[in-house]
Amino acid sequence: MIIEGGLMVNIKVLLIGGGAREHAIAEALVRSTFEPKLYALVGVKNPGIKRLVEKSGGEIVQGNDKDPKLAAEVAGKFSVDFAFIGPEEPLFHGVCDAIEDIAGIPCVGARQKPAQLEQSKAFMRRLMWKYNVEGRLRFKAFLNIQDAVDYIDEYAESVAIKPARQAGGKGVKVIADVQAYLSDEKKAVKEKHAQAVFEEHMKPYDDIEDRILIEERVEGPEYTAQCFTDGNIVEAMPLVQDAKHAFEEDIGPETGGMGCFSGKDGVLPFITIEEKMDSVKIVQQLVNVVEKEVGEKYKGIVAGQMMFTDGWGPTIIECYSRFGDPEGTSVLPLLKTDLVEISEAIIGEKLHKVKMEWDNTATVVKCIAPKGYPRRRDLAKDHPLAIDIKAIEERGGRVYFGSVSEENGQMVTKGSRAIEIWTNGETIEEASKKAESCIPHVKTLDGWDLFHRKDIGSPELLKKRIELGELQREIFKYRKAKGLVGRRIDWIPGKGKLEYIS
Amino acid sequence: MVGIFGMYAFDENWEISRFIYFGILGCQNRGQENAGIATFNGEKLSRFADKGMVEEAFRNDEIFKGLPGWCGIGGVSAFTAENEFIPPIFSEKGNVAVSMNGKITNCEEIDPQIGKKPHGDMKIVANLLEKSIEKNNSVNAMKEVMEKIKGAYSLVALIKRGDMIIARDPHGIRPLVIGGHGFDLGVISSESAALDVTGSDLSRDVKPGEIFVFEPHSIEKDDQTFKNRNTYYCSFEWVYYARPDSIINGIHVHKARYKIGEFLAKENPVEGADVVIAVPETAFPFAMAYSKVSGIPIDLGFVRTGRHLRTAIKPTQIERIIGVQLKLNPIRNAVRGKKVVLIDDSVVRGSTLRNTVYLLKKRGAKEVHVRIGSPHIIAPCPFGLDVPSQDELIAKHNTEEEIAQIVGADTFAYLSINGLCEAIGLSQEKLCTGCFREKYPYL
Repeated sequence: MIIEGGLMVNIKVLLIGGGAREHAIAEALVRSTFEPKLYALVGVKNPGIKRLVEKSGGEIVQGNDKDPKLAAEVAGKFSVDFAFIGPEEPLFHGVCDAIEDIAGIPCVGARQKPAQLEQSKAFMRRLMWKYNVEGRLRFKAFLNIQDAVDYIDEYAESVAIKPARQAGGKGVKVIADVQAYLSDEKKAVKEKHAQAVFEEHMKPYDDIEDRILIEERVEGPEYTAQCFTDGNIVEAMPLVQDAKHAFEEDIGPETGGMGCFSGKDGVLPFITIEEKMDSVKIVQQLVNVVEKEVGEKYKGIVAGQMMFTDGWGPTIIECYSRFGDPEGTSVLPLLKTDLVEISEAIIGEKLHKVKMEWDNTATVVKCIAPKGYPRRRDLAKDHPLAIDIKAIEERGGRVYFGSVSEENGQMVTKGSRAIEIWTNGETIEEASKKAESCIPHVKTLDGWDLFHRKDIGSPELLKKRIELGELQREIFKYRKAKGLVGRRIDWIPGKGKLEYIS
Repeated sequence: MVGIFGMYAFDENWEISRFIYFGILGCQNRGQENAGIATFNGEKLSRFADKGMVEEAFRNDEIFKGLPGWCGIGGVSAFTAENEFIPPIFSEKGNVAVSMNGKITNCEEIDPQIGKKPHGDMKIVANLLEKSIEKNNSVNAMKEVMEKIKGAYSLVALIKRGDMIIARDPHGIRPLVIGGHGFDLGVISSESAALDVTGSDLSRDVKPGEIFVFEPHSIEKDDQTFKNRNTYYCSFEWVYYARPDSIINGIHVHKARYKIGEFLAKENPVEGADVVIAVPETAFPFAMAYSKVSGIPIDLGFVRTGRHLRTAIKPTQIERIIGVQLKLNPIRNAVRGKKVVLIDDSVVRGSTLRNTVYLLKKRGAKEVHVRIGSPHIIAPCPFGLDVPSQDELIAKHNTEEEIAQIVGADTFAYLSINGLCEAIGLSQEKLCTGCFREKYPYL
């Protein structure tokens, strides 16, 4: 970087990661008035990122984006001004630590220790209880399968069974165990799933000790509160709701997200501005307490994957140490403030000086995945794709490349959500309709089926979410009036009153 | 009538048979003569069906051990039939199991031999489907079958390659809903209440003419081929068949029944009556609304002995009478010396009503004014409702005044057809009111 007349020129930025989210970050970076040269370290050659990098005059490097040494080397080689880290795994592996400590280059992204907020779900929960952060759920963490199974055996409850570590969003099973007459069947599934978490989902990870997390199951509309943070304050982005079920009508297996939407004025039809502020306050608290706990500032992106529950109101389901995918894709195109300026402010701890501006429209992102996703990625892999970007752009859509790579000039699917289509409009419904008109312009060349969720952003789905929100809100209001927020009081016959306290 | 239910796990860790059991228990209102379940475990289709209520047919744990698998369908039915014809039924080669609610009207054209058999229509659909899946994917197979069959049907089929096919006829006569259960299961049912019973979440009605296929790795859908036909929802669902806690075609059954009671009170008031009582249990919401509108207090008139039986759908006369006599023991104090408004849901033959009025008078009711929460039934149903032949229908041959004399009531009145449509909240063109008008939307 050179400073000319008080202005930064010739800025160079290194982007780490090669998915649709990173494609959206890359786009936000290159549209900066500083016209930065963009460099990227990617696992697979994302065609979208490649194009942007080349256009900016930078370079794309293919390699293990989780390798801290390589990241520091690449950052040093191009002597970039800062690095922007997209996905969570590089953070967990200490990529920021290496770039900052070895190459001496600042990062937008959490260092390994504060990134534990996402890396270890057990760490995050303990932190919330230790520092009395609001919106916390009751949980138990297990080091071995036997203890987890014994626990499941003893307590018939509605639970979420999760890998104790972030495992690419996989391995979470939520089981409502309400009908006593179906408890035995549910118990069997819970135990089998705990086994699967232990043997499959947690198998690749030995960087944390806890293995299985069992949490109380809660209900309510979900939303993601993404924020920029310089370690001192958080700046909230528009709220986004992600669609987790693979298939329409909220049926089918959990995915990384089949799409999402955001509303005007930064809120959602089922979350009020006050509720958003309360949610952001929780994220702010998390940023503060994680520094207290690990002794390092949390800098970069932080997000609460939240739910509006009857027990707590805004409640943390999981934490992200990065943009959500696809939630990031929803909001990044709306960002009017210069992302390079924001990045510099995060690094220099001057975020309070930046005025955040967003284009005030509603957005919808729809993910297109090959059939087979999410449970049989082997079947969803290696299908050639044809995308008519021009036709999509003519319809007001933008294309973000996800799980695809360019091989010998041909785009092929890599097994996960291949393409994300972004649209905006005055209303979520309008954006959704626009997105639908774009979808037919993505096809496979071998006839393999692609699927997406038509219902994301549909009036029916929004109505359902609003109803669910109102139901939870009514109970929450009652609990608030009775002084019952976050409390559960039981009466055990013969023993007396029992209140669950940490 | 038949109640159908299906559940499909996208995770093979689930054992589904108990869920199906509670699902069909939740549909028990739609048929109390037989119950059956078929499941698939990746290798074979298994089936168990027997006579009796769900709890009788599935009387021990051994039965469930014979029904392994992560997907399955079930059915309850209101007719008497050989075991082979109790839903879910198998196709000829056993590669398809089908639970169907409704009636195929062109059976004899398709297969004269099976078509003639009572309840052979479900078998015909299963056989057609079996043939079609050999050369088609499941959506196209169902499409092909739907192009051949006429009538009214909501069906769920389990096929040996591990798919579950769901279809509703293009006119939507019989109800069908779809829902989910957590991240693992898709659910299908005649009525939303069965989803509640199994802890599932209602997504919406299956649209008329819509086809869904649950496959191991996807849900396929066709809502285009048979779209935009006129819909003729069965109006009798809201009067009698459906559970009051169900939502049928987006309309809450309880709400429609309450409205029926309001219209009944406005159309047919009883001056100076002392008490409103309902014939249990379907008529309760009618009576509550009748009381509210008329200002006549409601009281509990009858107490039931033994378990809950739906007397109108019992197959034989003697069973219906026994049913009523056991079901309805009048509470003397509630009726003695009083001018009673007696509310019932429907009158088919009049025999059980006659018994009821007789019981009330025997316990000292001064006057009994019967009000019925549905229009007169004058014609059979070609679409699978168990209405007897015309010579057995009291309203086909008698005026309201004549019926009053036959059943021993002081006055007797039906709800008007317009009143019914208004209570449901749909125009007559969107409803099938064939059994009340002897005029069917199509045949």
